[in-house]
Amino acid sequence: MKKIDPMFTTVKKTVCPFCSFGCDLGVVFNDFGIKGVEYIKEGSSKGRLCPRGSAAALYLNHPKRLSMPMKDSKVLEWSKLTKDLKKILDNPKNVAVTFDRNLTIEEYESIISFCDKTGIENIASTYFEPERFLKKFLNKPFSLDEIDNAKMIIVLGDPFSQAPMISKALINWKLRDWKNRLVVIDTINSHTAGFANDFLKGTVGTEPILLYGLAQESMGNIDIAAITGIPESKIKEISKSFKQAENGLIIVSLPFAHTYDSLLLTRSLAKLSTFSGKKVVPLVEFAGFEGNQYFGSIMNLVKKKKIKHLINFGELFPFYYPQVAKNLKALNIYSTSTIKYNEYTTIPVALNIEKQGTILTNFGKKKLDGNIKPSSGAKTISEILALLQEVSGKGKRLDIDMPELKLNIKERVKKLIERCTAPKKKKTLKLIGEKIAYNFLGFFENEILKLNPHDAKELGIKQNDIISIKSKHGKVDLAAKLTKDVEKGIVAVPAETPEVKGLFDFEIDNNIVNFIPTEVEIWRKG
Amino acid sequence: MAKRIVLDLDLCCGCRSCEAACKAAHKGEARIRHGDIVGEAYLPLACKHCKDPLCVAACPVDAIKRDEETGLVIRSSLICIGCKSCAYACPFGVIDAPLIRHVSQKCNLCNDREDGPRCVAACSSGALQFLSDEDIEKHEIGMRMVSKNAFFRRKA
Repeated sequence: MKKIDPMFTTVKKTVCPFCSFGCDLGVVFNDFGIKGVEYIKEGSSKGRLCPRGSAAALYLNHPKRLSMPMKDSKVLEWSKLTKDLKKILDNPKNVAVTFDRNLTIEEYESIISFCDKTGIENIASTYFEPERFLKKFLNKPFSLDEIDNAKMIIVLGDPFSQAPMISKALINWKLRDWKNRLVVIDTINSHTAGFANDFLKGTVGTEPILLYGLAQESMGNIDIAAITGIPESKIKEISKSFKQAENGLIIVSLPFAHTYDSLLLTRSLAKLSTFSGKKVVPLVEFAGFEGNQYFGSIMNLVKKKKIKHLINFGELFPFYYPQVAKNLKALNIYSTSTIKYNEYTTIPVALNIEKQGTILTNFGKKKLDGNIKPSSGAKTISEILALLQEVSGKGKRLDIDMPELKLNIKERVKKLIERCTAPKKKKTLKLIGEKIAYNFLGFFENEILKLNPHDAKELGIKQNDIISIKSKHGKVDLAAKLTKDVEKGIVAVPAETPEVKGLFDFEIDNNIVNFIPTEVEIWRKG
Repeated sequence: MAKRIVLDLDLCCGCRSCEAACKAAHKGEARIRHGDIVGEAYLPLACKHCKDPLCVAACPVDAIKRDEETGLVIRSSLICIGCKSCAYACPFGVIDAPLIRHVSQKCNLCNDREDGPRCVAACSSGALQFLSDEDIEKHEIGMRMVSKNAFFRRKA
């Protein structure tokens, strides 16, 4: 009989699955299973991990982890699921395939090949985070040494909350030479903003206009200062210094529903990059694979009853975007998931950390060696596709290269200005998302809503009061945190859970689902 | 030589990686706490493993003991009766008053891990360090009560 020794541990090296930083980490096993994580000093983040990385082991065998296929809260046998899927694949014209995040490059390719083989022609991304468009900037691998060599860095958002490992490099860079200049653009006062030389705290949603201003783009008669709230002389001076700086970077971390026009924001970033000759370093989730169309087209086909079934490979859709899923009631949805949900048909899937394959990170491509077996019951996407291997359609090779959208920039800028300067509706506040690494998926503590003390006083809300937040899509109760970090009229929340994400408004823009700052009503509960 | 967890105020960015690492390693118990500095900044509060610990003196059942050789002040969860005396006695407020599984939560410097505490390993900015008394004095880390550069002070 094998002797159990709880003190004997083995460490298996892998890559953190939660963002594009792709930190190397070790998963520690003992005879009882997963014990925790270990920090790899030789890794790309030099052994540092953010709260999400440190909690990776918790996630692997969390009680909420899905271990069996489920249909409407009931366990579904794998054989029955396979039978059901094969049946719907008999008529591939009725089926759409989508994907969001947590995919390796090989898995993405095998999904496309599966669609070719079965004859599924409608393929789209269900990753609706604003950062999805930043993936194109990942093409140039980044190294932390580039921060050391920079003289001036412009940061959009709060990278500390997404990849706090970047903090060590940035803080050391600042402490080493106080002449190094850090400019932060954000709507709320973040950790990064706290030690910036220049904190450009603009009006909500006006970031693209500010970035075009920094890129010295001709904006006609537009008064950038009046719209963004940043003095024109300041914008001009920063623009000039950034262009002249010997080395520099633009680091971007875009929170959920923080801005109105993610497409315009991406274009304005590219413009600033070209103008200044500086690289954009995007902090994104592992996503960004596109299909042969945007999801808005799939929604139209569902409305016309041309698509009846949807198979999603990933972990976000439809659970994290309930307001979008509400519009697809006629659709029969099958989705892979890592967490248990009571709706739809859910298929337990392995996390990137448990796979073999290649992923694209800020540091370039990284190999996953698959030495960590998937949690009990979960299958890799290759295994799920293998179950359906007997299906043989007469598909054709699909063109999955999405052309870059042609945008009427002037028109979009005009529309954005109208939105940002529109008078505020009475009794409502504007809800925006913010990045936060600590309260990952709400595992550690309940989410909080940041509220300006002035607004709180008007609404009779005190620190830590439980408040109700209601938008046209739903209502949640959260604790209030009173802080001047957010301006009057603005409330911010880390959109980590489906309940909170489900509050936000979305628009369909060029068939792309785009989440935007949202009008909400707030009152003290009880 | 006894080592302690010390915080370099110049480096801490308040990301709470240390707290997550501690919580993940100790079945949901965070043995490192955070002080919310008037809503301006979060700073980790780690047990200092005092030379003359008040928590040891306050414990009515001798559940907390100090190892003279390693300097480790450790609590036995089997002996602890959850009276919270240690939490009230600690002059730094690092022992959390709310009990988990009826016992108080006390840092053990991750004595099950060869490379030292996990909070130090996880620290994303290098602000938490695991140093001997000699090193603490040499680097002046942990001797300052106020950050030299005070980067975390917000510009409202």
